Amino acid sequence: MTEGPSSTASANPASEVDVGLEFAGLWLSSPIVLLSGCVGFGEEYTRVAGFSNAEVGGICLKGTTLEPRLGNEPHRVYEAPAGMLNAIGLQNPGARAVVEQILPALDTTETHFFANISGSTLEEYIDVARIFDDSPVAGVEINISCPNVKAGGASFGNYPDMSAKVVEEVRRVTDKPLITKLSPNQTDIAENARRCIDAGTDALAVINTITGMAVDLESRSPVLGNASGGLSGPAIKPIALLKVAEVHQVAHRHGVPILGQGGIASAQDALEFLVAGATTVGVGTALFYEPLLCPAINEGIRDYLARHGLGSIPEVVGTLDWEQ
Amino acid sequence: MANPYPAPHGTIHVEDTEVLAHEEWPGDQLVLRLYAPETAAAARPGQFAHLACDPLLPMRRPLSIQRVGPEAGWAEFLYKRLGFGTRLLARRQVGETISVMGPIGHPFEVDPEVRYPVLVGGGVGIPPVVFLAEVLKDRPGVEPVAFLGSEVPFPFATQPAGFPVSGVPETATHADARLEDWGVPSRLASGAGLAGAYRGHVPDLAAAYLEPLAPTERRRAALYAVGPEPMLEAVARLGQRLGVPVWLSLEEYMACAVGGCMGCTVRVEEPTGPAMRRVCVDGPVFPGEQVYPGT
Ligand SMILES: Cc1cc2nc3c(=O)[nH]c(=O)nc-3n(C[C@H](O)[C@H](O)[C@H](O)COP(=O)(O)O)c2cc1C
Ligand code: FES
Repeated sequence: MTEGPSSTASANPASEVDVGLEFAGLWLSSPIVLLSGCVGFGEEYTRVAGFSNAEVGGICLKGTTLEPRLGNEPHRVYEAPAGMLNAIGLQNPGARAVVEQILPALDTTETHFFANISGSTLEEYIDVARIFDDSPVAGVEINISCPNVKAGGASFGNYPDMSAKVVEEVRRVTDKPLITKLSPNQTDIAENARRCIDAGTDALAVINTITGMAVDLESRSPVLGNASGGLSGPAIKPIALLKVAEVHQVAHRHGVPILGQGGIASAQDALEFLVAGATTVGVGTALFYEPLLCPAINEGIRDYLARHGLGSIPEVVGTLDWEQ
Repeated sequence: MANPYPAPHGTIHVEDTEVLAHEEWPGDQLVLRLYAPETAAAARPGQFAHLACDPLLPMRRPLSIQRVGPEAGWAEFLYKRLGFGTRLLARRQVGETISVMGPIGHPFEVDPEVRYPVLVGGGVGIPPVVFLAEVLKDRPGVEPVAFLGSEVPFPFATQPAGFPVSGVPETATHADARLEDWGVPSRLASGAGLAGAYRGHVPDLAAAYLEPLAPTERRRAALYAVGPEPMLEAVARLGQRLGVPVWLSLEEYMACAVGGCMGCTVRVEEPTGPAMRRVCVDGPVFPGEQVYPGT
């Protein structure tokens, strides 16, 4: 692709542009993926009149561990400038309960559901991946970047050797598409991405939340029960865009797609991520404010592609004019 | 086994509402009335709405519903100007647009066996109690009584009480004028020495009313409480002591308010053991003994 996004080649009618695309061996009807931890186990937003899972290409389920977890003490969420902090602590009913009790109720004809797996040990990641391998999920997202649990999570994500080890072992136990979710809280995200690609990941999710904290001045204590939490929302968008562009430099050489995320709240945000190198775009925190956002993002992407004479999403992916 | 997270479809509406009235009361209290027909049509006492207080705010704010006019399409809220969000909300003027998600949560369910519902509201916990009183006023064979507490002037008109409430101290002379209109007896309490109010805590009034009841009557009573934590705990303990069932409505910071983020959980003790439950969709109303287990 040489044509930049400012190209104004002959416009197509927006209605003719298909926002469907291939991602990690799957066909997605939209580049939008609802993000892990923001939409429960896939059904919660259907409480909202007018909301449909069919508007999005995929849904990442809440982070799941081998055993049930109660998660952190309150408070778990708190507003931050242009965003929010969360420290949920991976509250989930355990992988078996997800597979046996929750997945059967999901309508897998509407969209693709991805498990999001976490663990305190390498063995736990492997066990959870095995359980989801024998389930109707379309793929498995490996969360090696959760900032909110003491053992595991981020401690795997912040060291390329350990990240690669998790991916390699999970790869051994499942043939389902693997998405590895990278942490922004590390020195060289591109190097970590390269190692995860070598270890066999099919896609990369960039980025998870950035660690932060809030202070209660009256009690002089942290607001969050877990003290620290993960920052999400528009506040982290510029950071996420840079990380996506950096990872893209490495990933595109291997044909590995990126699920870009961090503060996406509009079609314009989504398009910026696509241009920076994401193939799909994650929406999480923005849904909390505007639950019916997704159709407008799809529409805005269609309009943009049509205006620029582009027929499909892949034509815009990674078209950022940036020599490194 | 059943899905542990059932999600009833299409029950929460997202609507752009118009500010119909925005009244300020002493003590930084505001009463907001919105044209929110979908929320108004479906709302029940104990439920709340999630408001986009100002486009500049990253997060919505949950506010309990105080009253609705389903035919006219309005929903009313009472809130205190406390933090950044409510300060911005307080600046919104009649005619402006506010996005509302609602109604949300499990309402108070008053069991058909209950003849004497005792409603206890403190501070910004008053709205659900007013809503519940308005709904119960029309229920045949039910004799609700409401006790309202505040440390700042009450955010509603008061008047000398016209209906007797047995047992309560004589210093509690006044009632909520709206509840008087509806024929629902009420009494007021305040530590701040407000005129017409009993000087003390609002659960004391509930205790004074319930304690003298005959066991047969007490068996048909239940407590429904919304307010600050010490008040909720006192009501829960009162219920345990007298063998009266207790329902509490809880508050917690919220992000999604639809059950998606697990951000608003509280620790409860269920028959199967400890659990973290979401205030937004598993609550906000919980059985008192789950929130404050008996010792
Ligand atoms: C409340 C909340 C819970 C989250 N839980 C998880 C999780 O369980 N697993 C995970 O991989 N990411 C989790 N995340 C991170 C999001 O999936 C996403 O990567 C991040 O929020 C950035 O995107 P956003 O700004 O669009 O929300 C969570 C985020 C939020 C706000
Ligand atoms: S606020 Fe998200 S689950 Fe309640």
